[in-house]
Amino acid sequence: MTGVRKLSRAEATAYGFLTVTLVFCLLPFVWVVLASVDPNAALFLSLPKAITADHFVKIFTAENGGRWFFNSLVTVGATTALVIIVGGMGGYALSRTNAWWKRPFLYAIILVRVLPPTALIVPLYKVMLISNGVMDALVRSIVPPDSIRSAMQIFGFVDGYLGLILVLSAMQLPLALWIIKTFFDLTPKDYEEAALMDGANVFQRIRRILVPLALPGLGAAGLLTFIGAWGDFLMPLTFISSSNLQLLPIGLFRAFQRANTIDYGYLSALALLYMLPAVVAFGLARRFLVQTFAGGIKG
Amino acid sequence: MATISIENVRKNYGAVEVIKGVSFEVADGQFAVLVGPSGCGKSTLLRIIAGLESVTAGDIKLDGKRINDVPPDRRGIAMVFQSYALYPHMTVAENIGFSLDLKKVPKAKIRKEVGQVAELLQLSELLDRRPAALSGGQRQRVAIGRAIIKKPRVILFDEPLSNLDASLRVQMRAELQRLHQELHPTIVYVTHDQVEAMTMADTIVVLNQGNVAQWAHPIELYRHPKSVFVATFIGSPRMNLIKGVVTSQDVTSSFTATEGWTVPLAGKDLAATETSVWLGIRPEDIRLVDANSAADLSGKVTIVERLGAETYVNVVKGTETLLVRVRGDIALRSGDTVQLVLDRASFHFFDQADRVFPA
Repeated sequence: MTGVRKLSRAEATAYGFLTVTLVFCLLPFVWVVLASVDPNAALFLSLPKAITADHFVKIFTAENGGRWFFNSLVTVGATTALVIIVGGMGGYALSRTNAWWKRPFLYAIILVRVLPPTALIVPLYKVMLISNGVMDALVRSIVPPDSIRSAMQIFGFVDGYLGLILVLSAMQLPLALWIIKTFFDLTPKDYEEAALMDGANVFQRIRRILVPLALPGLGAAGLLTFIGAWGDFLMPLTFISSSNLQLLPIGLFRAFQRANTIDYGYLSALALLYMLPAVVAFGLARRFLVQTFAGGIKG
Repeated sequence: MATISIENVRKNYGAVEVIKGVSFEVADGQFAVLVGPSGCGKSTLLRIIAGLESVTAGDIKLDGKRINDVPPDRRGIAMVFQSYALYPHMTVAENIGFSLDLKKVPKAKIRKEVGQVAELLQLSELLDRRPAALSGGQRQRVAIGRAIIKKPRVILFDEPLSNLDASLRVQMRAELQRLHQELHPTIVYVTHDQVEAMTMADTIVVLNQGNVAQWAHPIELYRHPKSVFVATFIGSPRMNLIKGVVTSQDVTSSFTATEGWTVPLAGKDLAATETSVWLGIRPEDIRLVDANSAADLSGKVTIVERLGAETYVNVVKGTETLLVRVRGDIALRSGDTVQLVLDRASFHFFDQADRVFPA
C-alpha cells in the first residue's frame, strides 16, 4: 500500500458526514434530470425504465412554454443590458467623483437591496399604475386604436415588458453600481489620461479604453444581474397578468398549482429548462467574477 | 521642436496653493529636468504643461503662443507616465500605434511607423506581446515608443525610472540621452532623484514648496547654489553646513565655527557678521592631512563608509559632523583622530535669510 494513507477515525467520520450531506444536496438535481426524461415520472426517485422527450415536447406544443421562455429571455436580457449600460456609466461617475454626497448615495442605494421587495409591493404597484396611466395616454395619442393593446404590452408599466424591465433593473442596479464602482476604483486614471494625450475623444476613450478595461467588472455585474432577474418570481407575478406575457417561473408555478393532475415529468422538464440559461450565463461569465473579485487590472 | 515658457504659473487646489508663481523657460531641443522633494509641485507642473490640469493664474507658452486653453492632444506634446499606463488589452504594436489609429492613418503606414519606432527602441521582437508579458525596462521603452511615434514637439516624462531597479535605471538613463541626441525633442523630465537630474539635464529647475529655488545648468547649480536648500539638495552625498560667524581683523577676515575652530579666509574679504551664518563645503573639498602639517581643525572619526573607489568618513567636532571624501584604500578606523584642511576656494556662505553672500 503506497500513496494511500490510512484515515484516522475522526477524518473518516468527517468524510462520511460530508458524503451524506453532498448526496442529500444533490438528490433534487438528480431527481429533476431523471424525471424530465422518465415517461412514468413520480414524486419518488427512480431510474427511468425508458427514456422519452415527451415532456419537453409538451412544453413547446401542448403548453405555451416557448412563449414563456421567450418572454423571460426578452425581459431579463433587456434588464441585463440596461443595468450594464446605466451601471457602467454610473459606476464610473461614482468612482471618479469626489462629491460630498458620494458616500450617502452609495449607502442609500444599497437600502434598495436591504428592504424586502415584498414589503414594498403595494406602493410600488401604485407608482407603476400611475405611470401606466400616463403611458397609456401617450400611446393613445400616437398609435392607431386597433394597435393600442399590443403597444401597451410592450410599453406598458403594468402588464407590459417595459414596466417589468424597469422594475427588475431598479432592483438589480444598486449591486451593479457597487461592483462597477469598486472595479473602476482599482483602475488608474492614467489609462484615460494617456488616451487623452493620444488624441482619443470621449467616445473613443469609452469604447477603446474604458469598456475593455472594465469588461470583467461589467461582466460580473451583468452576470449577477442576469441571475438575479432570471430567478425573480415576485415581480413577474405582480406586474404581468396577460397569459401571452407570462414568464417561465410563473408558468412553472402555475403548472405545479394545478389541483388534480400533477405531471411530474412535465414539471421537471420545465424546471430544467428554467435552470439552463442561468447555468449557461454562469459558465460564460464565470471568469469575469474571478477577475473582478480576485484581481482588478493587471499589466 | 519647440520652446516652452512657463510664466508666473499658479495652481490652487481649493485653498491650498501648490504652485506659487513659477517661471522658467526650456529652449528648443533642450533636456530640462524639474527636480525637487515630494510635494514640491513638480508633477503638477508637468501635468499643467501636458494640459491635464488647468492653471489658476499665469501662462503656458509654446513657441511664444499661449496654449492654456488648447486641449492636451492639440498641443503637440507627448507624455510618458510614471506608471507607463500601457493599455493592458492591447499588444505592444497596438499600444505604440494607438494615436495614429485614432487619427485614421492607414494600417500599412501605422505598421511601418511602429516598426521604425520599435527598431529604434529595440522592441521589434516584442510587438505581439501584451504589456503584462514585458519586463519593467521593456514597458518603459514601449511607453517611450508611444510618445515618440507622435513626433511630438515636446516630450514630458513623469518620474519614468522610479519603478526600475538600480542597474536598469543607469542603462535607461543612457538610453534616454541617446534618444535625445538622435531625435532632439524638447524634453521636460520630472524626478525627485538629483542624480538623474545631474546626469541627463541641459538645464535643471529646482523646485521647493511650489517655488523655483534655482534654475540653471547642472554644473552651475552644483558650483553656485543660491540657497541652503539647493546646496544640500543637489550633490550626493550632501554638502556640509557649519554654523558660525565671520569675524574681521584689519584686512583679514575669518570664519569662526560655533564649535570653536577658526579658518582664515585668505582672499575672501568678507564683512564681519553679527548674526550666525552657514558655511557650506562639499565632502570632496575637505582633505585629511598628517598630524604634523598645518590643519584647520581636528576631529574624531565615527563612521567609515567604503565604496571601493572612494571612502566617506564622518568626522565629529563637538556637536557637528563633517562628511569628508577620501580615497578608497585609506587606512582609517572609527575612533581615530584626524586633521582636516578645508579648501577656501570652495566655501559657500549663506546668511540667515538663506541668501548667498557675498552676493
